Amino acid sequence: MRPVKRYWTRRLGGTACVVAIVLVANFFLFRLMPGDPVATVLDPRFSPEAKAQLEALYGLDQPLGVQFLLYLRRMATFDFGLSFSTQRPVLDEIMERLPNTLALLVPAYLLSVLLGTVLGVIAARRRGHLAEKAVLAAGAVSFSFPSFFVQMVLLLLFAYVFPVFPLRGSLSIPPPEGTWTILADRIWHLALPIFSLVLLGFGGWALTVRNLVVKVMGEDFMILARAKGIGERRLLWGHALRAALPPLLTLFLLSLPGVVSGAVLTETVFSLHGVGRFLLDSVLGQDYPAAGGAFYLLTLITVGSNLLADFLVQLADPRIKTGGEESR
Amino acid sequence: MRKMRWSAWVLAVFLFCGFLLPLFLKGDPREPVAAPFSKPVWADRTQAPAMSFTVPPGEAGKTFSWSWEAPRGLSVTGEVLFAKTPSKAALVWETPAGAKWVLSDLSGQNRWTLDLDARDMAFRISLGLSPFDESLRGLFDKHGTIRVRIESDVPVERSSLLVQIPGERWGLFGTDQRGRDVFLLFLYGIRVSLFVGILAVLVSSLIGLAAGLVAGYVGGAADTFLMRTVDVLLSVPLLPVLMVLAALWGKGLWQLVLILGLFSWMGTARTVRSMALSFREAPYVEGLRALGAPTFYILARHGIPTVLPLLLANIALGVPGVILSEAALAYLGLSDPRVISWGRMLHEAQSFGAFTTGAWWLLLPPGLGIALLCLAFMDLGRALEEWADPRLKGGRA
Repeated sequence: MRPVKRYWTRRLGGTACVVAIVLVANFFLFRLMPGDPVATVLDPRFSPEAKAQLEALYGLDQPLGVQFLLYLRRMATFDFGLSFSTQRPVLDEIMERLPNTLALLVPAYLLSVLLGTVLGVIAARRRGHLAEKAVLAAGAVSFSFPSFFVQMVLLLLFAYVFPVFPLRGSLSIPPPEGTWTILADRIWHLALPIFSLVLLGFGGWALTVRNLVVKVMGEDFMILARAKGIGERRLLWGHALRAALPPLLTLFLLSLPGVVSGAVLTETVFSLHGVGRFLLDSVLGQDYPAAGGAFYLLTLITVGSNLLADFLVQLADPRIKTGGEESR
Repeated sequence: MRKMRWSAWVLAVFLFCGFLLPLFLKGDPREPVAAPFSKPVWADRTQAPAMSFTVPPGEAGKTFSWSWEAPRGLSVTGEVLFAKTPSKAALVWETPAGAKWVLSDLSGQNRWTLDLDARDMAFRISLGLSPFDESLRGLFDKHGTIRVRIESDVPVERSSLLVQIPGERWGLFGTDQRGRDVFLLFLYGIRVSLFVGILAVLVSSLIGLAAGLVAGYVGGAADTFLMRTVDVLLSVPLLPVLMVLAALWGKGLWQLVLILGLFSWMGTARTVRSMALSFREAPYVEGLRALGAPTFYILARHGIPTVLPLLLANIALGVPGVILSEAALAYLGLSDPRVISWGRMLHEAQSFGAFTTGAWWLLLPPGLGIALLCLAFMDLGRALEEWADPRLKGGRA
């Protein structure tokens, strides 16, 4: 069990390191900015007493070290303070939007991985097949076209030229009655964003799957399996894909930060009520507590999913358990 | 490379369009030239184009063909200078049906400054048009050729009369929400993408080269530290970081170059590191060490030339990522509003109702421009890769 333990110590250490760096960066970025933070909230006509009171409220009268410790305690309890613009707790604002973001990202990402894997395996099996051409084209699009541009074109096509989907928002205004109709309305609003993310996402994934499977197909154990008379289908989906799984999961892990970045853009294009656009609005509106909180939470989610994916890599790659070659 | 790659041609065209063409085209891209949201001229031929031309001196004047509904406006501005004072002169408008309108009487004075607008009641009444009917049906009575000329008994020395007819279509790419020429904006946008893309990649390549060489060749604690840093940077969502930095640190182009450069060196560092690892074990390098060559000398004299070809390929392959990041930031509204860039154009298209008016000509030029530029750099990078490592040629699955 020793190698597993060492592996996890390293991964957990790395995660802690990321979180620590983000915490420190967050603190200094949002605090040591040009200008007095209180001055940005306050009217200059406020009396000195009121100003001192506000400084005490935000803990700005303490020395920097104490401020940092207070800040760490607040971050650990997810207390991000009040938003400058709405005067509501930042955590409430974020929690209100988080389900929307997850409802966008999780299905979109799962679908594009699924579609990408299937198409990638088919493309590896039959060179020159329609699936291979589709995979190559989609891969080129996803690497060179700005995602938000593709989404804008889709929005123009399917919400303006052929008004099938709504132009903006996560829910109709006014919202419809009844749980099921609300659910249907939400799905209707999310359909185009999810479709666009799948369209943009599956190409790169499929390309990797194809290359990995092509490589695996040439290996000795595959020739042996074929000689043993294992059916072509099982050979491909069972053996080849299984062997390609660990690097695929590692890729999955590495692409998670990009997914979060994509959320900001997607939510902006489709005007969805999510955390990504909340971050953008706070950054643009100089709402520092909100921006800091959203940034911190988005990073935490990324790092958390990273760890989860890591766990999956470890399950899929027994070499880590036996202390063989490290996957990375 | 006997045959020039297509990407080289594309880049040459982009360079020409971005840096030389604006010198030949008149006009400031920030100035409105036509009605807001005018379509490109080639788009929808059922609608009238916007027109803008000067009336030349001479009997022939200016002719143009008109086969649409009468427009809602017409204006004539500018100056006419006669050789000597004419006893009888006029600005004449001849319709396809054969009617002749005198837009303005120019007799008795050798210099005239005109500022006529069909919205002006006095002008309409002097023409004999109804002041309440907005259309100019009299001047555009039939589809056919219309002639505008200066009729006088003395020669015209100079004329700068500018006739403007608003319409639904204008220019190669139409106009945006403020009536600016999208084609000019597109040309100026090339500069920002190329400038930020190439400079930021140079910054990141320098950082990546230094980090990769140190990590791979020196190794030890430096290696651990640098590679952990790479891991950390790769596991943090890039766009939110860039957004926060751009908002806090400033939106100028140089700041953008630095921010983008600081956050995109990880791939280069990894590539250079793996090359430096094998470079360190190469017999001739061992020989150099045995002869007592200092580390700095080995790296500068032999290390950098070894990794340089692949580094060049890496630079070209890194440009698309940076261009896309810059465009994304500008699209999100985190760029200097005074600087015209493709991302900014997309941002304005979204915030000023391209979707509610269906103004596709505001989306396609910048978006396809970015895509084409990125594809070109990727192809160039692949060509450089093959040049650096000929084994890749044809062997690519």
